[in-house]
Order: sequence, then C-alpha cells, then structure tokens
Amino acid sequence: MKVNEVPQDNITYYEGERRACYALNDEGKYVIVTSSGWSAEEVVNGLAVAELAAYLEETRKAVLKGLKSPLAYHMERRQMTPEILAKTAGIAVFRVKRHFRPVIFSKLNLAVLDRYARALALTLEELRTVPGKII
Amino acid sequence: MSAEITADGKPFIHHHSAHCESGVTSALFGDKGVEVSEAMIFGIGSGIFFGHLPFVKWVGLPISTFRSQPRAVFRKAAKRLGAKFITKSFRNPQKGMDELRRVLKAGQIVGLTTNIYWLSYFPNRFRFQFNGHNIIVLREIENGFRVSDPILDHPVDCLAEDLERARFAHGPLEPRGFMYYPKYIPPRPNFRQACIKGMKDTCNMMLKIPLPIFGIRGIRSMAKRIIKSPHKIGFHEACRHLANVVRMQEEVGTGGAGFRFMYAAFLQEAADLFASDELAQLSQEMTAIGDIWREFAVVSARIIKQRGQSEDNFGKAGGLMLICAGREEEFFKTLNTVVRDLKA
Repeated sequence: MKVNEVPQDNITYYEGERRACYALNDEGKYVIVTSSGWSAEEVVNGLAVAELAAYLEETRKAVLKGLKSPLAYHMERRQMTPEILAKTAGIAVFRVKRHFRPVIFSKLNLAVLDRYARALALTLEELRTVPGKII
Repeated sequence: MSAEITADGKPFIHHHSAHCESGVTSALFGDKGVEVSEAMIFGIGSGIFFGHLPFVKWVGLPISTFRSQPRAVFRKAAKRLGAKFITKSFRNPQKGMDELRRVLKAGQIVGLTTNIYWLSYFPNRFRFQFNGHNIIVLREIENGFRVSDPILDHPVDCLAEDLERARFAHGPLEPRGFMYYPKYIPPRPNFRQACIKGMKDTCNMMLKIPLPIFGIRGIRSMAKRIIKSPHKIGFHEACRHLANVVRMQEEVGTGGAGFRFMYAAFLQEAADLFASDELAQLSQEMTAIGDIWREFAVVSARIIKQRGQSEDNFGKAGGLMLICAGREEEFFKTLNTVVRDLKA
C-alpha cells in the first residue's frame, strides 16, 4: 500500500477520529498515515452493527409485550452475555437468567436491583424501563 | 503527534500507532529515553501470527486472529530487549485505583489493560466487549485521568469512573486492573539480537505448530472453510463469518492487512539495522502479500454488499486467501534461512 492508496472515505461513524495505517512513501519507506476510514470496513462493520441492533430491537419488543424483563434488554444494550453480567453484578448465572422473566424481575428487592444498576452503569429508573414504554 | 506533560512535568510525545499493545510498549520505552518504533516492538515481540479457532465462539462467531495472544508482544519485547517491568493485578478495584494514583504521583506513566467498551471517549461503533485494549495513563486530572491512547491521534481525558469499570471489567481475558511500568530499561538495548530472536520465534509460530488451525496451516484451513461455507451454513451465515474475518483483519487496529504492513515496516527497519538486502527484499514481499490481503477484504465487502449478485463469490475470496497462504509460507521459509545468517 502506498501513501496515496490509503483509503480516505470519511466514514461517518469514526466521529472525526483517525486510524493509523502503515504505507510506503515515495522513497519506498514505511510511514504511518492517518486514515479517515475505508468503505470496505464500513460494509463489514455495518453488517455486525445492524445484526446487534436487530437483536436489541427484538428484545425491546419482547419486553414491551411482557415476555422478557427490562434486564434482558439492558444486558444486550451493553453487549454483555448472562455470564459476563453475572460476574460483574456478583449474582449467579442461573439467577440472572431467571431474572429475565418479567414476573420474577418485578419482585426483586432493591439490593439486587442496585447491583444490576451498578453493573450496567444505569440508574434504578432506567433499569426498570425500556425506551418507548408507556407507564 | 502532540506533546503532553506527565505528573512530574516531563514532556511526553504522543505517537499515533496502529496497534495498542505495541504502541504502549514503544511509548513506555520512549519515556525512559530509548526510542523504539512501534513496528520494531511488534517485530521483536513476534506480534504477527495467524489463528483460526472454529470451535471457540465469540458472539456466536468463530475466532480468527492475525496476531499473537494479548500481552505476548509486551512480554516478549520487554524480555528480548532486556527490560524489567513491574506488573501488577488486583482483586480489589479500590486498591487498583489507589496504586495507579500512587505510581502516577511519583511521576511514572503507567500502561493499563482495559475493556474497550467502557472507554467512553471512543466513537460508539468502536466500542465492544473486548478485554485486551492497552492504554497509557499520563497523570491524574480533576475527576479523571489524562490518557494517551495509541489508537487515537491525540491524548484524551477519561473519567475515573469509566477507567475503573474498564480496568475491572469481567468476561473472557479479564484484565483485573493489570498495570505495568518499567523498572529498568537498558540505555543501549541489543536490538540486533532481539530482532533475530523475534524473527526466529515468528517463523516457528507460523510454520512449525503441528495443528491445522495456527500459522500457515491455519490460513489454509480457514480459506477452505470459507470456500465451502455458503453450501454448508447458508449464504447469510457465511457472510457473517466472512465479515468477522475482515473485521479482525482491518478494523481492530492492525495498521492495514492484518498487521502484514506493520511487519513489512519492521523488516524494513531491520534491513537498515543489519544492512541486509535480503531483509529489504523480504519487506517488499510482505508488502505485496499485504496487498493481496487488502484485495481479499475488498472482494469480501463486495460479496456482502451485493448479496452474491456480482461475479465475486466465496470461491474467489478463499482463493485469494490460499494465494496469501502459499506466499506467506515461502516468505517465512526464506526468512527462516536468512535469519540464520544474521550476526547479532
């Protein structure tokens, strides 16, 4: 890759940041060149992001229908798995999974909710709801 | 590149680098007055590698990696250059943060291993649960820290709360607040010897691991897997797997073509160091191989974007990868013989 071949596709999700790329200058020496993104990268990243967003939206709808608890939504929003959440909150995995059921989640006491809120960096209010819910 | 000041008023030059771990290690050496480029650290630490683990799943996708395991570059480069580092990890987050503050107050910059998701200064799409990101903390500021993240081209501020979360995140490869800083760095490290060790180790890892998932064998097996994938798991799933490979190759701070260009840069520096024409030629060959990897990424992106409507198909993508495998095998075999003639 030569310096003038380093892609500068101004990818929007870089939010103005730049990535370092190694490329050959005119004298055939390697230098670090900043790049504002590559369209090929945007395609593969877009695929992964769209997939995550689709899963999250599905979960959000399930929460609104009362099939899952808001905890499941917030866990996915933080890109966690039940195992990671369990370890972060200090609650056993089987209990975390159990708390995905709305009936059980609604009966949780404050101490447990507080642990989840801290693990997910949310307020208690946010933890109890999902976006778009009418109370 | 921009100048910064550490806690004891020493100037610190922030270098923009392609890979976090080698960038941090290079900066820690630079802080002690030993200038080592990122590519040099990467080569000495044997950073280049290939592994494809179809049975280990990460968010439902097999892991493909173009680098050696996290922390290996730091560990190997430090050892081969004769440097001594103090490394610490903690069970208790509070103790970890206190220790960090204590070391910073003493005027020492510190390397940290963090979870990239909780570092809120990153653009949103860069953030995912990955526990192997390395950063340098320069000094404490009001309710936070001044951080030099080698992936970004300027130093940033990070909230103390975010940093604590990032250092003590859970999940695979837990960082446990891992922090490191130099205790002793030789003023004149033996670069030639270190380079030879690094290159030999790399050749062994790429050629001699008798498992079909690592090194050149790994590239071959993955290429074959990709060619078969649309028939085996369906077009959509195959696209997901292919996209993941390209992400690992281009997105996660590789300097382009899955570290191949960075390795070529290392060989170029090594060629100057040893005044060796053979190494200079090998550097050019690595650049050419890197260009094929880039082509593979372009073809893959086209397959994914056009939903199989174009003439590009999985056979072509896998074919390009097989070409890479063949040329890299030749490359590392030549490197292996060239290294043996070099004198430390």
